[in-house]
Amino acid sequence: MDDLALLSIAEASKKLALGEITSVDLVRAVKARIDAKNGDLNIYLEVFDDIEEQARLADARRAKGEKHPLLGIPLAIKDNILIEGRRASAASKILGNYTAGYDATVIKKLKEAGAIFIGRANMDEFAMGGSTENSAFGPTKNPIDESRVPGGSSGGSAAAVAAHMAQAALGSDTGGSIREPASFCGLVGLKPTYGSVSRSGLMALGSSLDQIGPLTHTVEDAEIIFNTIRGMDALDSTSAPTDLYPKKQSTKKIGVPRHLFVEGVDSDVLQKFNASLEKLKAQGYELVDIELPSAPLALAMYYIIMPAEASSNLARFDGVRYGEALVGDSLFDDYAITKGEGFGPEVRRRIMLGTYVLSAGYYDAYYGKATLAREKLAKEFADALADVDVIATPTAPTPATKLGEKSDPLSMYLLDVFTVTANLTGNPAISVPMGTVAREGKELPVGIQFTSAHGDEASLFTVGKLLA
Amino acid sequence: MISKDDVKNLAELARLKLKDGEIESLQKDISNILGYVGQISSFSAANKGEEKPTLRNVLREDAPRADNDPMANKQEVLLQALPRREGNYNVVRKIIQKD
Repeated sequence: MDDLALLSIAEASKKLALGEITSVDLVRAVKARIDAKNGDLNIYLEVFDDIEEQARLADARRAKGEKHPLLGIPLAIKDNILIEGRRASAASKILGNYTAGYDATVIKKLKEAGAIFIGRANMDEFAMGGSTENSAFGPTKNPIDESRVPGGSSGGSAAAVAAHMAQAALGSDTGGSIREPASFCGLVGLKPTYGSVSRSGLMALGSSLDQIGPLTHTVEDAEIIFNTIRGMDALDSTSAPTDLYPKKQSTKKIGVPRHLFVEGVDSDVLQKFNASLEKLKAQGYELVDIELPSAPLALAMYYIIMPAEASSNLARFDGVRYGEALVGDSLFDDYAITKGEGFGPEVRRRIMLGTYVLSAGYYDAYYGKATLAREKLAKEFADALADVDVIATPTAPTPATKLGEKSDPLSMYLLDVFTVTANLTGNPAISVPMGTVAREGKELPVGIQFTSAHGDEASLFTVGKLLA
Repeated sequence: MISKDDVKNLAELARLKLKDGEIESLQKDISNILGYVGQISSFSAANKGEEKPTLRNVLREDAPRADNDPMANKQEVLLQALPRREGNYNVVRKIIQKD
């Protein structure tokens, strides 16, 4: 292979270890791609000016005998994850000039491993969206078909990997923001177990839902990054010890909740899904029909709980401590103008919605109900996963949509129907490519999603690798 | 459909200045979304409190961060992010005003 940008992490890491290539070679290869296409695709909000320097340092560390599968490997970082001394905007005007004062814990771990940070990947503002069209700095285009979205909210991260502008990327996933773009861009995307990866230094959207995870070309690469960034962290009190959940014995069964996709899923997507399940069956897995009775309400739960948490979390952007600070006629105006000007339309919409569902007269009917339903859903997943290794669904009901196609917010939200469940229940879930479907003469990738028991990412990797 | 006054009231609660025309568009969008998430009312809450989440106590010593703590000695860096700073003070508007 001549073009080093096309290498997976595992492949590049092997060549680096053998001394066949250097990290500087790798960085130059991805930089050539960035120079050629980043202007058109709007993937990186910023490409760091010291990437060759970072690569030289990694090569020097290797020369001194250091070893790690991520040593010298170029990564794209979603713009809501802090890297000390660098800007971090969450693709929002309100943080347009914000410089991070410390490293996110995941960044600290990646620095220790010796990974190279290529730049800040575009995203939906504050991770609110499924297409990256809500970025204050313009949408990212899907490298596979530039008339389409890369998915979101980690769309820049996904597009960077799909366009070979980094070997892999970090994203964050609150309701599918890693898995949906992975599906739309033909990649692997992992949303780890809630609490398995520290969120210190990740800008919060929905604190009971958010997780950081990798977007990669292969399941093996996702495993490498997950193993590097996981672990309990005193700086995130929701992070949990790695042995919190008991080890599960494999049953070699896959649960399929067919009642969830009798309608609403494109028929060719469903065909690919069934074909993937047949592949797994041929490799010794038993397919079992399962029922998740509360799952049809999951999207409603999610679009109550997430805006409620978002409106609370985003109250901190008030122009008092950091970020944009506009001055009006009164204290009230200072807040209202700063937020009104600093936040984009989707963020304002979700703050309003969250404020509504949390207001005194409606709290019980919306937030209270959603919280109870969520507990029921988690119980149903736990019961189902006591008998099967993984639960399989399509990742999204369609392939990548056209730029501008989902202008109505509710129609955009409906794309999250299969991904929000894992965030509500805290289970880990992975999206793995399951082939392509044709739209307007282009072959567009689609993904299959597997969900496993808390702490059982191992089953996701095992099943995912069988589809490679 | 929620009313224009509802939208204005929410914006005030959320400390958000809306743009021209945004009251009408939010009236429509929020009503649509509430129409969808309103399905949650079909969930029977009879089993209230039945499912207990896995909870743990998370405590730490009430002590300054040790020097090797990644968040130690960050005061100056955090102060630098203040929009208006005087020395080590954050300059904010007077909150209690005389009528």
